[in-house]
Amino acid sequence: MTVIDKIAPEGSKAGERVSPRPTFRHRLSRWDVKVSPYLYIAPFFIVFGIVGLFPLLYTAYVSLFKWKAGDDTPDFIGIDNYKDLFADSQFWNALTNTISIFLLSSVPQMIMAVMLAALLGARLKGATGWRVGILLPYAASLVAIGIIFANLFGPKYGLINGVLQTIGLDPVDWQANRFSSHVAIAIMVNWRWTGYNALIVLAAMQAIPKELHEAALIDGAGMWRRFFSVTLPLLRPTLVFIIITTTIGGLQIFTEPKLFDALPGSNNGGSSNQFQTVTLYLYQSAFENSSLGYASAIAWVLFVIIVVIALANYFLTSRLTRTPAVKKK
Amino acid sequence: MRALIPVNKVVEHVRTIRNGLVLALGITMTALGASACSGGGDNNPPAAAAPNEHVDLTLSTFTEFGYEALIPEYERLHPNIKITHNKTGQGGPYHQEVITKLAAGSGLADVMALEEGHLSDFLDKGSKFNDLTKIGPADVTPDRWLGWKYDAAKTKDGKLIGYGTDVGPLAMCYRKDLFKNAGLPDDPEAVKPLFATWDSYFAAGADYVKKSGGKAWFDSASQNFNAMVNQLPQGYISTDDKLAVETNQGIKDAWTKVTDAVAKGESAKLTAFSNEWNTGFQQSAFATKVCPAWMLGVVKEHAGAENANKWAVTAAFPGGGGNWGGSYLTVPTQSKHPKEAAELAAWLTAPEQQIKAFQAKGTFPSQVKALTDPALLSKTDDYFGGAKVGELFAEQAKKVQKPQYKGPGDGQIQENAASPALQAVEQGKPAAEAWQQLVDAAKKITR
Amino acid sequence: MTTTLQSSALRKRVATLGKPRKATYIVLAIFVLGSLFPFYWSFLVASRDNAMLGQRIPPFVPGGNFFANAARVFDTVPFWKALANSVIVSGTVTLTTVLFSSLAGFAFAKLRFRGQNGLFVFIVITLAVPTQLGIIPLFIAMSELGWAGHLQAVIVPNLVTAFGVFWMRQYTVDALPYELIEAARVDGCSMIRIFWSVCMPAVRPAAAILAMFTFMMSWNDFLWPLVVLDAGNPTVQVALEKLQSGYYIDYSLVLAGTTLATIPILIVFVLLGRQIVAGIMQGAVKG
Repeated sequence: MTVIDKIAPEGSKAGERVSPRPTFRHRLSRWDVKVSPYLYIAPFFIVFGIVGLFPLLYTAYVSLFKWKAGDDTPDFIGIDNYKDLFADSQFWNALTNTISIFLLSSVPQMIMAVMLAALLGARLKGATGWRVGILLPYAASLVAIGIIFANLFGPKYGLINGVLQTIGLDPVDWQANRFSSHVAIAIMVNWRWTGYNALIVLAAMQAIPKELHEAALIDGAGMWRRFFSVTLPLLRPTLVFIIITTTIGGLQIFTEPKLFDALPGSNNGGSSNQFQTVTLYLYQSAFENSSLGYASAIAWVLFVIIVVIALANYFLTSRLTRTPAVKKK
Repeated sequence: MRALIPVNKVVEHVRTIRNGLVLALGITMTALGASACSGGGDNNPPAAAAPNEHVDLTLSTFTEFGYEALIPEYERLHPNIKITHNKTGQGGPYHQEVITKLAAGSGLADVMALEEGHLSDFLDKGSKFNDLTKIGPADVTPDRWLGWKYDAAKTKDGKLIGYGTDVGPLAMCYRKDLFKNAGLPDDPEAVKPLFATWDSYFAAGADYVKKSGGKAWFDSASQNFNAMVNQLPQGYISTDDKLAVETNQGIKDAWTKVTDAVAKGESAKLTAFSNEWNTGFQQSAFATKVCPAWMLGVVKEHAGAENANKWAVTAAFPGGGGNWGGSYLTVPTQSKHPKEAAELAAWLTAPEQQIKAFQAKGTFPSQVKALTDPALLSKTDDYFGGAKVGELFAEQAKKVQKPQYKGPGDGQIQENAASPALQAVEQGKPAAEAWQQLVDAAKKITR
Repeated sequence: MTTTLQSSALRKRVATLGKPRKATYIVLAIFVLGSLFPFYWSFLVASRDNAMLGQRIPPFVPGGNFFANAARVFDTVPFWKALANSVIVSGTVTLTTVLFSSLAGFAFAKLRFRGQNGLFVFIVITLAVPTQLGIIPLFIAMSELGWAGHLQAVIVPNLVTAFGVFWMRQYTVDALPYELIEAARVDGCSMIRIFWSVCMPAVRPAAAILAMFTFMMSWNDFLWPLVVLDAGNPTVQVALEKLQSGYYIDYSLVLAGTTLATIPILIVFVLLGRQIVAGIMQGAVKG
């Protein structure tokens, strides 16, 4: 296959006779090819400039000050906020909570999403209905989620404890115990996001040509072998995609812990911060304690942590889903 | 299928990323100007509008103030003024928004309601609010309000930033039927001795627990603790703005009494205003309740029709009296029409208007004249057995002592240090550990 | 390895490839029930009253109050306005996100330009920026521009997302073969024409999925609209939050409101759902 690899900026093709003086149209075309890419990606960068870059730089600036909201003359304290942060046990507590909730939610979620996608990829009767049904939780309003899950996980009157007691088990104080609160929040997160990720994986799975499966089947591969040798490697870019987005999202989990606290509107993440995540601590520092400088330091440290972990995840996933030998027609 | 990102290229293009960042930074900074913090106000306050010049005012409140009928009335009296009334739901998010907009330098309404529990966060930002003694109408004098209410809105340097709206004088609500079943007196006069002091209150509680076979006496430890701390001469913060939690013996004593009561099973272990607390009313989970004036409506709604006439309220409160809740109307310096805004605030907080608000939504007046108004004194509540609630709470309002000094961070210590610590005790944490948690959290808040 | 296509068993296996087993339906049913239960439960509460929440074993049959509660929602907050605002905001954001993401995805996937890999990595890194603290500087920016309280403040920051660019690039890489582009170039098409007539049709399934996800995400966006909009000009989520005013929360009212708020999304599902299934079934153009 002799395909020209990319649209080369010069716009000339092999063997084409180049006229001595390029016509206006020709120059316009070359200019079009050269400049268009930058124009096409510009909207994103402009929006990001306002929404992402400006706040990011502003918070970097603010993090160097002891800046309370409403202060007209904040004091410059250099990296003291960061020093305090690393000595702050509540921060480490929040970080541990974040990682724990992240692992408890994303690992099962990934597995379930891939499994669901595999199931949904079959020739089901009423396929649209099943797929929409799985995606529906993503449509739920946050207001509703807060109320619903507070009622499900209520320690005294909640439905789940009611069911547990009916089958003879002890009720669990979901908000009190650190581990159980993480499990409950992971359930909330997974309820909302599993269908979403499943559909993304499904789209990628459906792009795998059927002939590949048939060929593997004819070659004697059973269902599992086919899954690991045909499906999974071809899913690699998509898996990398959702693992990175899930990692980034998972380390920023904010809404679910905030809604899970019995006291409405609380940013504590539990009576002893059992389930306070880093973003929740950030929000509390900024909007309850009015310590904008400190909150900015938290934001930057979190940002760096996320980048590091996301990169690590990317390398890990690339390695794990390396393409084994697959016969391609 | 190709790999998503060629790994080696990432390393190669660090320089490109940096160039990209610099470029983006330049564009962004040029586009938006480099002013980070636009600060609070002008140095020259806006001039008053000429009479009959059209003025648009915005008013921001939360939960229920009872102003729905008053706004159109004011507009009728002042045809050149148009008022937009923004009502938010809960107090917590409302005050967080206020902080955001204060920091941003814009977005606040001309008249902003602030709750007394959050007031301490704003008293040290006095420069962001107008001094109402200077821009308010001349006929508005301190004796309009109860002394402690008026004084609580003054900053350290004597600036008055808010006109008082309502108050929450404390009384005690209790379940007549549950008292009777446990062999306790149930008549509002007869129960008064039980509620005379905190010691007698908790002792009665222990008694109730025994006699009722293990039922809870009160809903939440923090409800009692907050009331107790509020009655002390000194609160969490001393008058020179230093944290006083560890040195204040009154706080430590209150802690010990409350946690002992929890250990005796007197607490229903519910978090106030949570979902389960709402259900707790229906399930008759507790027999007494700290009741500021505005709590009556809450009890009625949550306990529902089937518990009518079971709840009663009495004009007694352990430790004498106290106040929980109540708000102020402030005029931030961001306002473009401070004089007109102050006039509106003054009118809304006049005794006549506050009575109307009380009749609409039950917000209890803080104005002295209103407390002797016949409309108030004759108010009864059928749900609470026909009790004369107006008279009752007017009596309680007079029992409140001098306001406690609320230094910066006071409200947060109550909400984010004390209440969670008590919740932890109710969830099983040893009291000594939880006390340490309280102290540490308080230290962090006032850092 | 010899293939024995004559073997009827093997032929049968190939023919039934992809046909679901009974177990599949059972597992899927469990998941769908789990997904739907909270919705059903909130509809139960919305169709009854608050008292239902206090009961140990709640009734599982809807009551008759739903329409009464729904009517009250419209009386308590400007819900029609909120719905209209949300449609405008989410609709605009969806259109622009799909358009700009497809453009950028096309550029990154099929065009060659200096710095493209670095810029793309940069876009991925932007996903890591925590949004919560951005609230204050973003609010300052919106105030400076005079947009606070207006819909622009909610639309402009969401015009295009890193996720969208990421997603469209990936799909475009596989779905749009160079032959098609080359053919169009030979025919003398300009870049933008190629994008519109060649690229967009090829990536339509991915664009439809992105549209659906973006619409849902925008519809449920909560924190930022709460900060920058006010009660007079709300989106649906802001209006729902205002339903919880007062010291006393009427859950049946709030959940009636949330149920109403979910209906437009269901409509979007109905409209786009078939598109997506059809698109997915077609599969990508093999390259």
